[in-house]
Amino acid sequence: MRCYHFTEMPYPYVPPDVEEAHRGLKYFMPNRYYDPVRGYQLYQRYLDEYELADELGYDLMVNEHHQSASTLHVSATLSAASVLARTRRGRVLVLGTPLPHRESPVRVAEEVAYLDAISAGRIICGFVRGVQGETWPSNQNPVHNMDMFVEAHDLIKEAWTNHDVFSWEGRFYHYRYVSIWPRPYQQPHPPIWVSGTTRALVEWTARHGYTLCNLLGTYADTAASFRLYRKAAMEAGLPEPGPDHFAYLSFCHVAPTEEQARQVGRKLMWYLKQGKLRLGAISPPGYSSPAAAVAALRGKLGEVRKYSFERLVDEGVMLVGTPDQVIARIQRLYAETGVGNLIMMNHAGEMTSNEVRDSLCLFAREVIPAVAPIGRHWQDDDTSWRVENDRRPVHTVLASALS
Amino acid sequence: MTMTEVDSADRLLFLHDADVVPGPVGALAQLAEQLVVEVPRHPGFGTELDDAARDWDSVADLAQHYLSTMPAGQPTHLAGAGFGGWIALEMAVRAADRFASLILVAPYGVKLFGPTDREFADVLLLDPVEVVELGWADPAACHGLRMPGFPPGQDDEQIERAFLDREALCRYAWKPFMHDPRLRRWLHLVTIPTLVIAGERDRLVSPEHSRQLAGLLPSARYVELPGTGHYPYLESPDAFTAAVTSFLATRQKMGAEQ
Repeated sequence: MRCYHFTEMPYPYVPPDVEEAHRGLKYFMPNRYYDPVRGYQLYQRYLDEYELADELGYDLMVNEHHQSASTLHVSATLSAASVLARTRRGRVLVLGTPLPHRESPVRVAEEVAYLDAISAGRIICGFVRGVQGETWPSNQNPVHNMDMFVEAHDLIKEAWTNHDVFSWEGRFYHYRYVSIWPRPYQQPHPPIWVSGTTRALVEWTARHGYTLCNLLGTYADTAASFRLYRKAAMEAGLPEPGPDHFAYLSFCHVAPTEEQARQVGRKLMWYLKQGKLRLGAISPPGYSSPAAAVAALRGKLGEVRKYSFERLVDEGVMLVGTPDQVIARIQRLYAETGVGNLIMMNHAGEMTSNEVRDSLCLFAREVIPAVAPIGRHWQDDDTSWRVENDRRPVHTVLASALS
Repeated sequence: MTMTEVDSADRLLFLHDADVVPGPVGALAQLAEQLVVEVPRHPGFGTELDDAARDWDSVADLAQHYLSTMPAGQPTHLAGAGFGGWIALEMAVRAADRFASLILVAPYGVKLFGPTDREFADVLLLDPVEVVELGWADPAACHGLRMPGFPPGQDDEQIERAFLDREALCRYAWKPFMHDPRLRRWLHLVTIPTLVIAGERDRLVSPEHSRQLAGLLPSARYVELPGTGHYPYLESPDAFTAAVTSFLATRQKMGAEQ
């Protein structure tokens, strides 16, 4: 099990009445509530934590959202550049660049190649569709989101692997001359990860052999999504996907006692606060199937957001407890889902830097050594998720906690 | 002038707004007593052409569709409301000579003001209740609209249909939002008699926008109806019918004198 440190780099200083008046922290929040000096201090703090995590043996993840006080990452590739400059060892997972929301796939290909080139191949390249609400800041048509994702990916891959000057006249993207410099350090290109739960995307990811990431799903939903992946991969004639083909994002906070861990870990709930975004913002027309849009209207998307802290800890979405308790949950996570990469959101909201650092250090000392061997010999493990043991029908799951 | 001066053989092609239920609603039913009123459903909004139209991504596609499928010969008055008004404008700049007249009700389609002026309310983001608040002088009187979750009590199938309507609107009108910058430069070609109707209380498309648009059309008359919003044919059907029949009768009289 590889372990990744992640923070969304939130800006936790928006007054509650302002948040209420703007239906949450995202997409429609006037930036008069951003203080440049406090923002600078936050960036330094978050980058310091990435630096510490790297020294402690974690790999690192960055992402991006837009026009949001819940995330100050504005470009996953920019954040990756910052983190690479501060670190020496860990892989930097860029999860991800929201392809349909970026105007130029060629520029994404260049930026990721640059990151890989300057770091001698420390980059893992994530591609995402962008959560529904990102439609509003980018103003890209939600109807074309999935098709743009696929075409942008195809173009980027061509830019990484075609070493002649080529032209691309597709449906959404048009270039007469493409031949990017530099080429990626990792050849033919960095590993590609994709996050998402929609059936078409999971099956597409499986057919390409990319790593599939589930963000904050219940273990049952995560297992269902991964089973869909394994089935599609096998049907495409690929070998049975091992744990390295799967990743899971959870919250995490460990402390010497359960009581301490829960007291501080409870602050992670900040991330799951129910915004009161309009239905149109949560489910822009055409982004999802009509059936999924109906589920959004009926309030069935993001059900994890409605869970209590206690339930989230029980379900393992919150890896909160003593090191031994968390090791046991991670063992359960692997047994139920077959995941081999664990990304931990070790910070949210008003958690102090010392709280984050204490947990990072304890986890690195006591949990990482215990969970690192998990899944290394997966072909010898007799688990429920091995394809030969899996006779249940597959089904898709609804988006979990993100919006 | 009386209503009988409208030629009952004339055909009125009325292009519907985005969130309006199918059929000759409100004043359109009244007008149907005087002339042949057709209210086709736009491809993408629940028609047998929906699949064929899946790749259409501009209002020009809809204009092309209606122009290419319109029967020749019969005198046709072209009308459109809101989103349908935009389609009608796209048709009129391409083939004004195929129509006897043009009637526009608070049309989208032309951006008139500055880049930071929000000329069109964001019906794709707003909740239905907000659309009703902005679109009706008397929101409590709202009827004839269909949006995801509105009216309340829709079953899953009806909600899915309303989402698909919105999806079609997204395909046609997402960016630039509710307008085409290439349309304004051809408005001088709309030389046919034109009536622009706006509701005094319309806050989806402001009456000022409709009034200034009328000023850019060579033969347009502007009528603002009091106590009504974005859907005057639903909210004030009598006044709407009177305005339209008066316009059509005057136009015919003018035509006879020429």
